[in-house]
Amino acid sequence: MAKYVCKRIGMAILTLLIITFLLFFLVRIMPGNPFPSERMSAEQIANKRAEMGLDDPILVQFVRYMSGVLRGDFGKGTSLYNGAPIKTVLSSAISNSFRIGGIAILLGTAVGLILGITAALHRGRFLDSFCTVFSILGVCVPSYVFLIFLQYNFSFRIPFFPYFFDPSRFLFSSVIPSLSLSLFTMSTIARFTRNEMVEVFDSDYVRLAESKGMYGRNLVMKHVLRNALIPIVTVLAPLVVDLLTGALVVEKIYGINGIGKLMVDAIAGEGIDYNYVLALGILYSALYIGIMLIVDLLYGVLDPRIRVSAKEGDA
Amino acid sequence: MKKTLSLLLCVMLLVTASFTALADNDTYLGVMLGTNVMSLDTNLATDGDSFEVIADCIDGLMQMDADGAAVPAIAESYDLSDDGLTYTFHLRDAKWSNGTPVTAQDFVFAWRRIAQEAGEYAYMLDEIGNIKGAAEIIGSEKADPSTLGVSAPDDKTFVVELNVPVSFFPSLMYFPTFYPINEAFYTSLEEGTYGTSPETFLSNGAFILEDYTPGTANLSLKKNPDYWDADRIKLAGLKYQVVGSSDNALTAFRTGALHAVSISGNQVAAAEKDPELSKDLTVTGAGYLWYLSFSQTEKNAQGGMLANTNLRLAISNAIDRDNLVDNYVMDGSLATYTAVPPQFAASSTTGEDFSADQDMFSDYVGYDPDKALAYLEAAKTELGVDEFSFSMIYGNNEGDEVGKVAQAIKEDVEDALPGVTITLQPMTKAERLDKMQNDNYDIALTRWGPDYADPMTYLGMWVTNNSNNYGFWSNAEYDQLIADCTTGAYITDYDARWEAMYKAEALVMQEAVIAPLYTKALANLIAENVNGIQFHPVALNRVYKDVTME
Amino acid sequence: MQSGYTPQKGDFTFLHRQDLSTDTNFASQSYWKGVFVHFFHNRRAVTGLVIVLLILFFSLFGPVMNSFGYRDIVQYRNENNKRVVAKGIAPQIPALHRLFTGEELEGNFSEYTFLFGTDDLGRDLWTRTWYGARVSLLIAFVTIIIDMMIGMSYGLISGYFGGMVDNVMQRFVEIANSIPRLVIVSVLAIFMPKGMGLVIVALLLTEWIGMSKIARAEMLKIKEQEYVLASRTLGAGNGHIIFKEILPNTIGPIITQVMFSIPTAIFTEAFLSFVGVGIVLPQCSVGTLIEDGFNNITTLPYQILPPILVLALLMLGFNFIGDGLREALAPKLEDM
Repeated sequence: MAKYVCKRIGMAILTLLIITFLLFFLVRIMPGNPFPSERMSAEQIANKRAEMGLDDPILVQFVRYMSGVLRGDFGKGTSLYNGAPIKTVLSSAISNSFRIGGIAILLGTAVGLILGITAALHRGRFLDSFCTVFSILGVCVPSYVFLIFLQYNFSFRIPFFPYFFDPSRFLFSSVIPSLSLSLFTMSTIARFTRNEMVEVFDSDYVRLAESKGMYGRNLVMKHVLRNALIPIVTVLAPLVVDLLTGALVVEKIYGINGIGKLMVDAIAGEGIDYNYVLALGILYSALYIGIMLIVDLLYGVLDPRIRVSAKEGDA
Repeated sequence: MKKTLSLLLCVMLLVTASFTALADNDTYLGVMLGTNVMSLDTNLATDGDSFEVIADCIDGLMQMDADGAAVPAIAESYDLSDDGLTYTFHLRDAKWSNGTPVTAQDFVFAWRRIAQEAGEYAYMLDEIGNIKGAAEIIGSEKADPSTLGVSAPDDKTFVVELNVPVSFFPSLMYFPTFYPINEAFYTSLEEGTYGTSPETFLSNGAFILEDYTPGTANLSLKKNPDYWDADRIKLAGLKYQVVGSSDNALTAFRTGALHAVSISGNQVAAAEKDPELSKDLTVTGAGYLWYLSFSQTEKNAQGGMLANTNLRLAISNAIDRDNLVDNYVMDGSLATYTAVPPQFAASSTTGEDFSADQDMFSDYVGYDPDKALAYLEAAKTELGVDEFSFSMIYGNNEGDEVGKVAQAIKEDVEDALPGVTITLQPMTKAERLDKMQNDNYDIALTRWGPDYADPMTYLGMWVTNNSNNYGFWSNAEYDQLIADCTTGAYITDYDARWEAMYKAEALVMQEAVIAPLYTKALANLIAENVNGIQFHPVALNRVYKDVTME
Repeated sequence: MQSGYTPQKGDFTFLHRQDLSTDTNFASQSYWKGVFVHFFHNRRAVTGLVIVLLILFFSLFGPVMNSFGYRDIVQYRNENNKRVVAKGIAPQIPALHRLFTGEELEGNFSEYTFLFGTDDLGRDLWTRTWYGARVSLLIAFVTIIIDMMIGMSYGLISGYFGGMVDNVMQRFVEIANSIPRLVIVSVLAIFMPKGMGLVIVALLLTEWIGMSKIARAEMLKIKEQEYVLASRTLGAGNGHIIFKEILPNTIGPIITQVMFSIPTAIFTEAFLSFVGVGIVLPQCSVGTLIEDGFNNITTLPYQILPPILVLALLMLGFNFIGDGLREALAPKLEDM
């Protein structure tokens, strides 16, 4: 097991290197200027490019960048917040997005599971239909529309929650964005849980357990849910990454300084900020790769028969 | 029971928490920002919002009065040499927020730094300000910044030497590029950290940075008790909030979370219908001129079709600008028929804005489908082509109205000009700028905001080889006129210069170098109890020095 | 005592030659016929089908039901030669208004029927909503195909072979998923004309990943089960085991996943339109209509409702169909 994890981490580093290089290369052929300017002369821009080493061969640039990254230096922006080191800007964006996203994940998973289990237990009855309609609406209504709905009703009509995000009252002002971000996760998890559990309820081994007199919470938790968890964990994993790395429109509307907005500003603002795109890309991939590893390990925990780590011959 | 009780307690705590926080806000003026503050470093800031916040905190030699004229700030007075080439500013006693006095050295340091770093606004020093030595330092990496024509004979005297007389030089001094930075403080900081937190930023102006991190959506400033003009400042502080949409801005204003917001299009229409909100609505000029740029080079527009003047005139005359502003922009923006926008650059002899008369070029530009058609027929004969298909690029993240305006223009042009097809190409602003700078477009919907209160901020763009001349139009007569106005014959003769600029503007319009569309206005909602916010189309969009809240 | 009968050859035959073990009654129906019958006996499934067909019908014929084209701006010139544009008009039906109140509607465009109102530019939203539904239906079908063809096979193969194959395939997924979509699409847009083709390519790049993960997880779970082992022992080939033995048992989560990837794809298209890569204006899609409506959500709330409702109905329909299909396809469910 430990050996497998080490191997995967080694591979993750290699994958991350490939991704960074690809991104490093792609971002340079994107339309957009790292020094967007309508007032600088061509020579001034050329000087700025030279200063940043953008005229060197791409491999030289890459090696220089990576050696910086290894020292924890992600450089500074060229078109975005260009005075400040990226670390400063990124750390506050990460702390906001991670916390709001984290709450959304917990909320979405918990409520989604409860809804899904309830629906499965009341299969074909009102609660089931309610859950179906809820989860369909939940994926059709974008989170930002739900956000406006909450903001309009609970910050304006009933002025209870703050109208904009306020970092000094973190928990209180995260309620609205977290809730709206969790809607999609909630719906997805509820639907998957319900469908999976219904299928497991119909399986022979649950019938057997039932016929042996097992029922109630014990049956649901021990046999049904556990067997339904594998697809649930699988769909949850990418949602976790997406939620942690922020959501553009929600951040924009609720005034949150977060990762999603930062990424779009870096690509689609006045110009393209190579360093921000790279730093955020590395962050995203590292998270994604890490969470996929956790999921692969979880499979083995949920169903001991699964061995992702198995060698080809053992399959 | 216990559970319910604790839940109730929690809720009550939250309620009190929210109300105490609301009470806090009341003494601060809540203001909307359209975009994030990109930088508080005068060398790096490039957008109006950043300039506004910098100007809240730092005073330059001059400041703007309510009408936008330059009045003394850190400079108590100034002398101009007889040849018009040397300005001597006499500084007053003012303090930085760390207690050190503001000296002439601070200006020398800041200006040299601008020239040496050669950033976006360095051109204010050489091309606009014509300061001695600036062009050489900005153009070359190796030049010594100390050769810049600025000096500090003593702590309270700051001397600037120019290459040629610049009539509007004092009014440049309120532009943030010319603000001072304390050298000792700057050099004590770690590299790249200046202006990234309240601790790494010094004020000598009306407000002090209270809460700020780069990238934040909300920042606050508090009154500077040591400001040299502290009695004038009535506000306890400012709370800036970045608001992402006009719809959201309107609701934020209605909640009372913000006292001053700007809204666009449909929200203006809604506010006008509301008896309460319509009282708070104020329209101010934003200065930006939106216009169509036509690429005239061979490689674009079907082999340079848009180099044909009649074709450009046809398009320009097919657009119903009144319809654009009345039905799509809807925020009080002005339909514009001149190359220099109205409400801007008042003449110092007559006091009238340079382009106040919007009908002066009505022979060449206006809404007249019949005339447009005639121009088109002329163009068809000249070019021997019957079908034209052009793409029009515009930035989708440059405002709610831009996409609507682009679609309305497409409909107008295709209606009035049979055989002309316009394909809309929305993109990010980054891509639009990139395409224009690489001359890879047919028609672009673009804008330009004035950097200083002189028509030259617009007219200077159409000179051959100017980096903003994205259409690559070239006209020797025009180049000569502009050269005469900036460095040549007319620089000392105010009226002659003014006349020459009218001639230049007429050339731009006759040849339809650009098709001006509208001059952007800001539709502001300002809370009833707030008075005295100054709005300017140039340099600093909003000034809060005289604001009172009842 | 009976005696003397000598058993003859022919008295007995081998049973297996008569195929007694086969339930001819059941076998006479093909599998697909069974699925078909089962599906159409499911009331919810049929409802779903009807909803989707209705939306399909309206998307084809809705835009021609009134006189407005999807890009026509409803306008006229008033006595001062100023243009008056029918922008931002809430839904209105003059005939109904007359019927119930006995009065005429007021306003500049009171004679027009706008079932869904008009948009910011003065275009009829009924026409545009159904026009947009066309684009979004196409996106939905493309997504289903991408999910089923690429995502499912990729995941099943990766999970089945495991080991090195899985390792390489999963690392590839990580790479494909980690390049920000905006970056890859902007680069693609240099080489491809913008429009629907580019949208589909953009979806092809990443839209299958979620499905592949689900299929892989199901494969990992099922491939260790006894019947797979039995099948393999009996000499079944890999292709047979993957697609004939295991696939039918993974159909539940796969259908659920397809249903959830459709709205995501529809919103992705809208996002791409925002950066100028999606459909060409003045065309529209449900996704772009939702985004347009969102800009005025509190001032003109009726603008966002039709596209959201169409999307929700479409998804409801798809989900009912999906549920019906799952029950019809999955052999072990109770009601089989």
